[in-house]
Amino acid sequence: MTITRRQILKTGLAAGTALSMPTILRAQTSPDDARTVRMVMADLTVFDPILSGVDTTRMHGYAVYDTLFAIDSKGIPQPQMVKKWSVSDDKKTYTFQLREGLTFHDGSPVTAADCVASIRRWGQVDTGGKLIMARAKDISKADDRTFMISLKEPLGTLINMLVEGLFLAVMREKDASRPATEQVTSNIGSGPFKFNEALAKPGASFTYDRNEQYVPRQEAADGFAGGKVAKVDRAVWQVISDQQTAFAALQAGEVDFVWTPPADLFPVIESDPNLELQVLCKGGTIMYLRMNFLQPPFDNVKARQAMLHLVDQEAFMRVAYPDPRFSQTVTSIFGNNPLYSNDENTGWYKKGGDPEKAKQLFQEAGYAGEKIVILQPTDWAEVSDASQLLADMLRNIGVNAELAPSDWGGVERRRKSKGPVEDGGWNILISDYSGYNPTNTPFLLANGEDAFYGWPKNDEYEALRSKWTEVETLEERQALAREMQGIWWDFVGGVLLGHSVQPTAHRKSISGLLEVPGSYGFPMWNMQKVSG
Amino acid sequence: MAAYILRRMVSTIAVMAMVGIFVFLLLRLAPSDPAAMIAGRDAPAEVIAGIREQLGLNDSLPVQFMRWVRDMLGGDFGISIFTGRPVVQLISQRLEPTLSLSILTMILSVSVGVSFGILAAWRTGGLIDRLLAAFSALGYSVPVFVIGYFLVYFFAIRTHWLPVQGYVPIGGGLGPWFVHLVLPTVALSLGYIAFIARVTRASMLEVLSEDYMRTAAAKGASSYAMLFHHALKNAGVPILTVVGISFAYMIGGVVLTETVFNIPGIGRLVVDAINNRDYPIIQSVLILTSGLYVLINLTVDLAYTLIDPRIRY
Repeated sequence: MTITRRQILKTGLAAGTALSMPTILRAQTSPDDARTVRMVMADLTVFDPILSGVDTTRMHGYAVYDTLFAIDSKGIPQPQMVKKWSVSDDKKTYTFQLREGLTFHDGSPVTAADCVASIRRWGQVDTGGKLIMARAKDISKADDRTFMISLKEPLGTLINMLVEGLFLAVMREKDASRPATEQVTSNIGSGPFKFNEALAKPGASFTYDRNEQYVPRQEAADGFAGGKVAKVDRAVWQVISDQQTAFAALQAGEVDFVWTPPADLFPVIESDPNLELQVLCKGGTIMYLRMNFLQPPFDNVKARQAMLHLVDQEAFMRVAYPDPRFSQTVTSIFGNNPLYSNDENTGWYKKGGDPEKAKQLFQEAGYAGEKIVILQPTDWAEVSDASQLLADMLRNIGVNAELAPSDWGGVERRRKSKGPVEDGGWNILISDYSGYNPTNTPFLLANGEDAFYGWPKNDEYEALRSKWTEVETLEERQALAREMQGIWWDFVGGVLLGHSVQPTAHRKSISGLLEVPGSYGFPMWNMQKVSG
Repeated sequence: MAAYILRRMVSTIAVMAMVGIFVFLLLRLAPSDPAAMIAGRDAPAEVIAGIREQLGLNDSLPVQFMRWVRDMLGGDFGISIFTGRPVVQLISQRLEPTLSLSILTMILSVSVGVSFGILAAWRTGGLIDRLLAAFSALGYSVPVFVIGYFLVYFFAIRTHWLPVQGYVPIGGGLGPWFVHLVLPTVALSLGYIAFIARVTRASMLEVLSEDYMRTAAAKGASSYAMLFHHALKNAGVPILTVVGISFAYMIGGVVLTETVFNIPGIGRLVVDAINNRDYPIIQSVLILTSGLYVLINLTVDLAYTLIDPRIRY
């Protein structure tokens, strides 16, 4: 049998085509659109930023809804939807005028009535919002673009309250008329991105399209403030639950961005010339341990002080956030935030902790070997590891520590219990916080049974905390912060375990990502993609 | 036959009802609160309580159960507690990827597994048999995520021949749909190929030792005729049984593969729902999969009559 050259050519061509077929097909399905950014995010399970304070819900809110004010990169509130605002001489009436050209995604104009309804809805659930509602004589519109908040008594931090705590999303009046505990059924806002309902696949992917009608402010983007210019046509949130798969997709260029890459992959990411790590949420989070003030031994201040001296922050950070570039110690209850962080009454801090002193203080508290239950959320790796370390530290000084492992849902249910451990109660839980405003940061409350889980109580501290909303200047609040912190470390409302920031990983083709002062995610405007 | 099918359908409903009661009680007794999950970690207790009230979670268990049963009987599978979307819509979005992966896996597993099994039985004790035994042991014992990462590394990251992850619906083009399913199908199939090959081999060996096979050989039947016309048909019942069980098991058991290759299927839907305590989704998916399981078993039972004329219902 003879083989002709033509047959060889034909066979070669066929084989080549067959071999290259997967690549061709793959190219057809790749995100090759230079104006589409694919981002690996946590699952978006709740769409209403007033109903839920979960990070992804808030980030969805940033994209879809606009806000009256927004904080800049220094944490200072700046007008956003508001064109100008004023306060009366008696400090009781605030008047806000909206910018021209604001429209919802359904084409209807944003009016003062929408803003009033949105504030009222937010005021049902947000701590600061509730204070505004309690202090308000009236919240009403003056005309289509002007609305007012009239107060019974002045409230010095009103503007701050509008940008802190739960995200004050401005919704259509008909959406904002729903109770705050009932989820809105539409995703119609007036923000720089439109939520693409048709492409929404809960648990898999969500698509945001550029809102071409959006009129950004003229100022440059700065934190969450300034001009919100959407520089990509589409942002696709992909939910990839397996972190190894997410990283492989980033390496292969199938996605452009991974919000929370695991720490063990940081070296691999940094060794890839196409990828980089970047900290966007500069505020970071503070890991803390909260003791149950209602049950022994932590109903005794000596036992709480013992915990303060026991903790070795470096050890906790090594366990929970092993890369030292992204974690540090923290001694101020206002965190390492440049506005309010201070060193008042922080003499307790000692590198490596002081277990001997802790042991002595437990003895002074009359501790006699009772079981101390630590709630351990096994599905939150950092906190789970920190809980195990804490249990070891306690056992090393002779304390009968017992871990109570469960998923976060189980922890959440048990932490509500105010009873003794024998009846399903608890002694210690570990969690994190990121706010520094003592008005709406649950960890910083100390009003007894109305406080956050653990129910710390200190009237002197609370008297100072209630002044926070009254003072007007930054200097006054800074002085107040020092006083509050001085008392906090005496009664030990909670113990800090360290401060950390979470870097994101993205391909170098992505630029313009905004760095923001908080820890609740980042905005998608201003980012752009360079093809090739 | 009709009476048999009717009896089996009635028993299917009974099984689904029992699954429903069991799942409902198990979920409600689990120590967790979807309202707290919705509100977020820092939410005050009164906000969580408000959400609970709004969702009807403060009603007594019997009231919640009766409401659910009433809605189910009316064809209403409920609304997802979290997303606020109809559960039917969420399930239907996830059914196609899972069925696509399962069906492709079954096609590959059955064709390769049965072929390997026949080959091993035909050359029993020889090199091919031993090689196939080694392959079966490997395929059966290596976890799917190990195989998955291995495949991704070589065929997606190193060579860029195939995508790392994701799923493209069939409506988005047959090519992209197939390309996205190649690696997950191969990864998931290896275990099933091993299983089906072992069962086929054992079943074939049993049949090949029968007297009538010796008679066929004595009458000069070719190897092909002996293997495929005489032996395979008579060895078919146990093979069909494992294929049926494998398929039914696969519908609810592909979660690891779906996770490794980021395929938004039923398995991941139910795992996410369990993590969130999204009761309506969990209840509906488990009832659906239990119903599918029973129906696939019924189909297999009926298929026996086609293979073995001695079986009658």
